[in-house]
Amino acid sequence: MNKRRFIPGIFIGGFLFYMLLPIVATYLFSIATRWDRTILPEGLTLEWYKTAFVDRWFLIVFKNSLVISFSTVIASIAIIVPTAYWVHLRVPKARPILDFISTLPFAIPGVVLSLGLIRLYARPPLMLARTPAMLVAAYVIFTMPFMYRPVVNSLKAVNIKVLTEAAQSLGSSWLRTLGQVILPNIMPGIISGGLLVFATIFGEFTIATFLVGARFKTFPMQLVYYTRRDGRIASAYSVISFTIAWVSSLFILWVATGWAKRSSSGGGLSRKEISSKVMGDGR
Amino acid sequence: MSYLDLIHLDKSYDGTIAVRDFSLQVEQGEFVSLLGPSGCGKTTTLRMIAGFETPDNGSIILAGQEITSIPSNQRGMGMVFQSYALFPNMTAWNNIAFGLRVDRVPASEIRIRVNELLDLVGLSNEGHKFANELSGGQQQRVALARALAIEPRVLLLDEPLSALDAVVRVSLRNEIRRIQTALGITTIYVTHDQEEALSISDRVVVMRRAEIEQEGTPEEIYVQPQTHFVATFVGTMNQFSGILKDGQQGLVVSSHGDLELSIPPIPVGSIQAGELITIMVRPEEIHVSKVDEEVGEENFLTAVLKSISLLGPVTRLELDFQGQLIIADIRTVDRHRFILGKPVQLSFSRDACRYMPGVDYSGDDSANDGLKEVEGIKKP
Repeated sequence: MNKRRFIPGIFIGGFLFYMLLPIVATYLFSIATRWDRTILPEGLTLEWYKTAFVDRWFLIVFKNSLVISFSTVIASIAIIVPTAYWVHLRVPKARPILDFISTLPFAIPGVVLSLGLIRLYARPPLMLARTPAMLVAAYVIFTMPFMYRPVVNSLKAVNIKVLTEAAQSLGSSWLRTLGQVILPNIMPGIISGGLLVFATIFGEFTIATFLVGARFKTFPMQLVYYTRRDGRIASAYSVISFTIAWVSSLFILWVATGWAKRSSSGGGLSRKEISSKVMGDGR
Repeated sequence: MSYLDLIHLDKSYDGTIAVRDFSLQVEQGEFVSLLGPSGCGKTTTLRMIAGFETPDNGSIILAGQEITSIPSNQRGMGMVFQSYALFPNMTAWNNIAFGLRVDRVPASEIRIRVNELLDLVGLSNEGHKFANELSGGQQQRVALARALAIEPRVLLLDEPLSALDAVVRVSLRNEIRRIQTALGITTIYVTHDQEEALSISDRVVVMRRAEIEQEGTPEEIYVQPQTHFVATFVGTMNQFSGILKDGQQGLVVSSHGDLELSIPPIPVGSIQAGELITIMVRPEEIHVSKVDEEVGEENFLTAVLKSISLLGPVTRLELDFQGQLIIADIRTVDRHRFILGKPVQLSFSRDACRYMPGVDYSGDDSANDGLKEVEGIKKP
């Protein structure tokens, strides 16, 4: 191998090793009979998966996390997409403000956000504290940058002002323009944002624990519970969590691209094109 | 009352005036072009008609109905944009059908109408294609068909050909005119291309610095420009500044040495003897001959040939007359009669001379590409 290929090879190889090692180790640990006295696992077994699946809590936390994650994705799209569209179209001066607000969740720790929300919503008339609805509301805030950024990038990539004006001149209302012209064209950004939000929420522990605690147990809570009892079962939970996040992401991708095609009356970007745009869209 | 009445429209953005006191009457079926350099307010005017901008003052009346504050989606204006603005997620066919679907036209009718329109713009076989599969010219045809589909009360075109290459531009502009005439649609066309405006319009409105400079038929605009700006923006114009010697006889002493020019007699009272005057002559009205040839025209002078540019059937000569650039167009077949760097004789008739009081101080937005400074020769 010549030098020109060797040096990039080292970097890429090192990067892949660094990224994949914890995942591979988790997968291995979840099927190891024991792996704390030897370099390699002492034996292989599916016992820990069996334990995880037969646990009566498994289906409950799985369903809870799925419901919360999907609800957050939908709420996030419903709130952020029209806002970003309107601001970009009509109030361009407010863009920097929105950009700033969208970075706030990065600056505020989950614990602080949770405690603040509990204090705010624990009194009448709202009384939302410690309800799943409040968890979704908090997650929309917490994941705002993940939805906002890709959507804004997509809005910038298509000339929404001219497209909106073209639709208006043809008699289209604001809602129809958004639904039939703008949404299909920024779909890669929405899907990209949806996937990021979904993946983040499905594995989120801190806010869920603080906001709802044992009243509404989620998948990561159960995972943490098992880390205190048996790391191998916890590993099995982690692997299941990875897999669910992957499968759900593919499902969202499949549903959304199908919708994008239907909404444009049998045309628009192909699934393959949207997938490639989503994968290439800005995080 | 005319079909479309624009009455004293004003529009400014953050203190910058975009359109000032714009009034225009457009008759039904008329093709009116708004012509001017960028930033002159022509697009803002069009956008006010479309309803995308609200005028600060003034009103817009369409077929007797005040529409100034009616939202754009209820005005029934068909709009064609410079950037085509086709919906990328739809086929050409669905783009054209969009406005009809909004209007809840029955599907069977939509099918007939869209196919007719595709036929009209010569794209019968391209309906299934998406915008990114069509050429620029084809995209603009689809955009035109889409705007026509809703049978607009007024068709608005915002520099629709600017993004296209020269050949497509000419063929498409002829096609726009053909379709407009066939359908009898009232049309407002915005362009900065004077050739485009002159070739397809019934009437041209020349704008400059937010205001109307002159309006008239293409011929009026080209042959009888009323201002220095129109004279230089529309076509190319040679200018000679001088002092009026005798208005009734039409005699002007040029500021260049001893040149005396004959112009048509000036009506009494318009410009006084001894006042500054600008004489203007189109390049095609200057007759170029060898120095020893006999000329019949009233005005003649000798200039040095500085450059020869072949423009097609016409060849453009740039000549130096005592430090002033003069442009003359000759037939391309005659171009070999003249030698670069040698003096030639220029002559033009008295009737070819237009005149305006004063000297042109119109500034840098005259946009006269022909009269740029070349080889140290100053712009007249």
